[in-house]
Amino acid sequence: MPTSINGILKALGDALGGKILQTGTLRPEKVLVQVDVGAHRDAIKVILKQDENAGVSAITGVDLGKTIKLLYHIRACNTIITIGVELPKENAKIESITDLISGANFHEREVSDFFGVTFEGHPNPKRLILPEDWPENVFPLRKDFTAPNFPSKTENSGALKDNEQVSGDDGLVKIVLGPQHPALIEPEKFILKVDGEIVKEVKPRIGYVHRGIEKAAESRTYLQDIYLVERICGICNACHAACFCQTVEAIMGVDAPPRARYLRTIILELNRIHSHMLLLGHAGFEIGYETLFHYMWRDRERILDIMEELTGNRIIASFITIGGVRRDLKEEMIPRIKAEMEALRERMKFYKELFENDSTIKMRTKNVGVLSKQDALKLCVVGPVARGSGVNMDVRRDEPYAAYNEIPFRVITYDYGDSWARLMVRLDEVVESANIIQYALEHLPSGPYRVRVPRIVPAGEAIGRVEAPRGELFYYVKSNGTAYPERVKVRTPTFANILAFVKIAEGINIADVPASFISLDPCFSCTDR
Amino acid sequence: MAKLSPILKEALIHLFKKPATRKYPEEKPKIPTGYRGKQIFDINLCIGCGLCSRDCPAKAIEMVEVDGKPRPLFHLDRCIFCYQCAESCPRNAIKSLEIFELAATNKSDLIVKPKASGAAGGV
Amino acid sequence: MSLDSGFLFRVLIFPGFAFILFFTMFCDWVERKIEARVQNRMGPTYTGPAGILQPLADFVKLLTKEDIVPFNVKNFIFKLVPILSFSIFVFAFAFLPIDGANAILNSNFEGDLILVLTLISIANFFLFLSGWSSTNPYSATGAARVLTQFLGYDIPLFILALAPAFLARSLSILRIAASQPLPFALVIPWVFVLFMITLQAELEKDPFDIPHAETEIVGGYETEYTGRRLAFLKLAKDVQIVLGAAIAVELFLGGPYGPVFYGSPAFWCALWFVLKLLVVVVFTEYLTCVFARLRIDQVLVINWKVLLPLSLLSLVATVGLGLWLNPLR
Repeated sequence: MPTSINGILKALGDALGGKILQTGTLRPEKVLVQVDVGAHRDAIKVILKQDENAGVSAITGVDLGKTIKLLYHIRACNTIITIGVELPKENAKIESITDLISGANFHEREVSDFFGVTFEGHPNPKRLILPEDWPENVFPLRKDFTAPNFPSKTENSGALKDNEQVSGDDGLVKIVLGPQHPALIEPEKFILKVDGEIVKEVKPRIGYVHRGIEKAAESRTYLQDIYLVERICGICNACHAACFCQTVEAIMGVDAPPRARYLRTIILELNRIHSHMLLLGHAGFEIGYETLFHYMWRDRERILDIMEELTGNRIIASFITIGGVRRDLKEEMIPRIKAEMEALRERMKFYKELFENDSTIKMRTKNVGVLSKQDALKLCVVGPVARGSGVNMDVRRDEPYAAYNEIPFRVITYDYGDSWARLMVRLDEVVESANIIQYALEHLPSGPYRVRVPRIVPAGEAIGRVEAPRGELFYYVKSNGTAYPERVKVRTPTFANILAFVKIAEGINIADVPASFISLDPCFSCTDR
Repeated sequence: MAKLSPILKEALIHLFKKPATRKYPEEKPKIPTGYRGKQIFDINLCIGCGLCSRDCPAKAIEMVEVDGKPRPLFHLDRCIFCYQCAESCPRNAIKSLEIFELAATNKSDLIVKPKASGAAGGV
Repeated sequence: MSLDSGFLFRVLIFPGFAFILFFTMFCDWVERKIEARVQNRMGPTYTGPAGILQPLADFVKLLTKEDIVPFNVKNFIFKLVPILSFSIFVFAFAFLPIDGANAILNSNFEGDLILVLTLISIANFFLFLSGWSSTNPYSATGAARVLTQFLGYDIPLFILALAPAFLARSLSILRIAASQPLPFALVIPWVFVLFMITLQAELEKDPFDIPHAETEIVGGYETEYTGRRLAFLKLAKDVQIVLGAAIAVELFLGGPYGPVFYGSPAFWCALWFVLKLLVVVVFTEYLTCVFARLRIDQVLVINWKVLLPLSLLSLVATVGLGLWLNPLR
């Protein structure tokens, strides 16, 4: 039975005693516990004993000049508790926590790629995001980084060393899915080891779309950064902007006015609807059902028309800014949006009936790609992937942001854990979002939609969490009192969900791989940033 | 046995409906007001403060000399149409037109120069 | 029969080669328009009035593209297969009465039903060879799937085709088509329904679309083909669809024979044939649009555990019905 945060703090104090260096707050009202090097494993064990469903939300690295600070953001009791450890730069070694929480696998590999921290005991300490032929001992996110001189591509065949022969020594055939493949929308490489028709092992390799956004954010002002982080992902762009703005407002201690919070809610829910409809149509296309794809995307066009009227553009909204929103919602639009939401609910009834009764859809997605609730909790997956396996987590209810603390809504879970359940979760969430938008429009407060904020942000650090269509989106921003941020850390939901694919794909038929893969809703631009 | 899939009836009805696609470029779509399209710049309102150029996230605005005063030059091939420039401008000199057909075969067609004094526009 | 102009006209223009070619392209246009309208979009619109020249435009475009033969393929088979499978499908048309008689007059014989079905099997086998000779893993997978699928449906197809042959007491397609005062689709509807399902598998359309599964295996057996050879491979596929529908029309819907109002019987027979074939094509295309694609193991289960026993049972039922209607002397 998970206890509250105070219970955890007390247990930590009792167990670690003198090894705790400092306890503080990470805005807004999140606990930060700084411990000695080597004591982080004990701290995490204490937290796991208090709340056995605790998982890693992100692991951030911050370069502080002579030391590197590692922040382990642990999600427990529906909130985040951060354990901080400082390591000297010349000897950045720390023990891994993958044996305690298996979901920390990719997070640690990423920190070791970017900061050069060695995690002892990690099962697979290879490069995650940087390419194979990146020079050793050059760590991009350190402050003393200078871009290396890359040798010309013809001499360097380091990247090709990764492509082994088709038939390995254990008699299994290697099938390579990607980086270019019709089943994938965005490029990543998955090496499947296949025995006949059954997949035995999956090795993912990500990082093909890495653009260095976290580093680029450090050399642009906060106002320019809003547009930069919006372009991490085209589909869920409003969530990135909302999370960043929330975090910076938390550092400044500024609250967006009530009307702005409701308008943010409306645009976030419109974003969720269009993203889920995009995925449902795409899932239809992957299983060969092109008619479903066309119908779903035709219905999605009406949502894009609303977004165009509201924000000036169909997909990239550029609507949210620090201190509020950029435009107001005109009164004459309200009845039109309400009529569209009503029509959407009617259409969704048809799609729900289709998914529940169509025999070919059920044959392709039921009992395909099953992820049990235990595995979902151990691998720290988020979003509809977790909710399709019965895990009841949703940031909108656990830690309300924008106007969600004033709007009633349901969190939808299904217990089957297969691809069908994950698609049904998204279908029902579209209807819920339509209800939320309707409620928000009826209770829209009047007043200003924006407050002016200074361009220079005071020193401090803060965390923001937003429920993006694909899951929990996590931001950490640190400011040092100038007009440029010191560190922006983004942990996107698909990054946390890739491990689920590795688990799902082991033991299934190779013909089921596209159907189970698409039900995870992967967005690789988000994953690689 | 569950009910028959509803798509059978739906597909049949659609055979007789008008298509949802439009015959572009013969029929153009209706663009709502407030759409973030091509910029229109009024040189008479500009005071040369340079805030648009400083705030542009894509570095698409360059301050050039026109009649001895600094005025913005827009690189539309770099522009991301976020309209932060319009927001930052203290005199509202930058506004949006509802033009979205901006494809060009020549990069120089995509540079919007500030016209000399007297003329409004710059489109 | 002498090689005079009448014979040449029948073989080359109508109802021979040119008619088959242009009618195939017309059926392709009909299919694309039906699929587009079901999906609420326009389909081919700009080439020719209502887009009717689109399949011809696609064919001509492919003919003008560069012909690339990869280094490691089995040259002879790779180059031969497209034109060979196309010609076999067109040759099978010679045994179907289109305007009341076959293209080559008096070429029908007892057993040409078996010949036509065998030609279809051989042509499908050549499609498999096209994928196998490409030595590309995607082509090889596509080719293996083609083979697995047609091994499954070929036997039910033969068994079901024997049912109308029994009722007509003949194995000649011309005689079967001619001895249908009431179309067999109404006399033995269970065989007709099963035949349409098996036809859907033979034509490799949804839900049995697996050899063409783009999202899994890129282009299937067509992956390595470009230019002229791809044009003929695609045309072979289209002719197969029209051939399959034509066999369904001949065996179950009374072929080209229908009420003649005035004028020459040949014209009315051809008209009835075209109309009935379009009905079958529209129906199979509608079925394509409303189903997803099944996995290969699900297709095998349906073929061997459902279609085969049901087709044997329906043949037995048909024999019983036939003996009851028309007892043997």
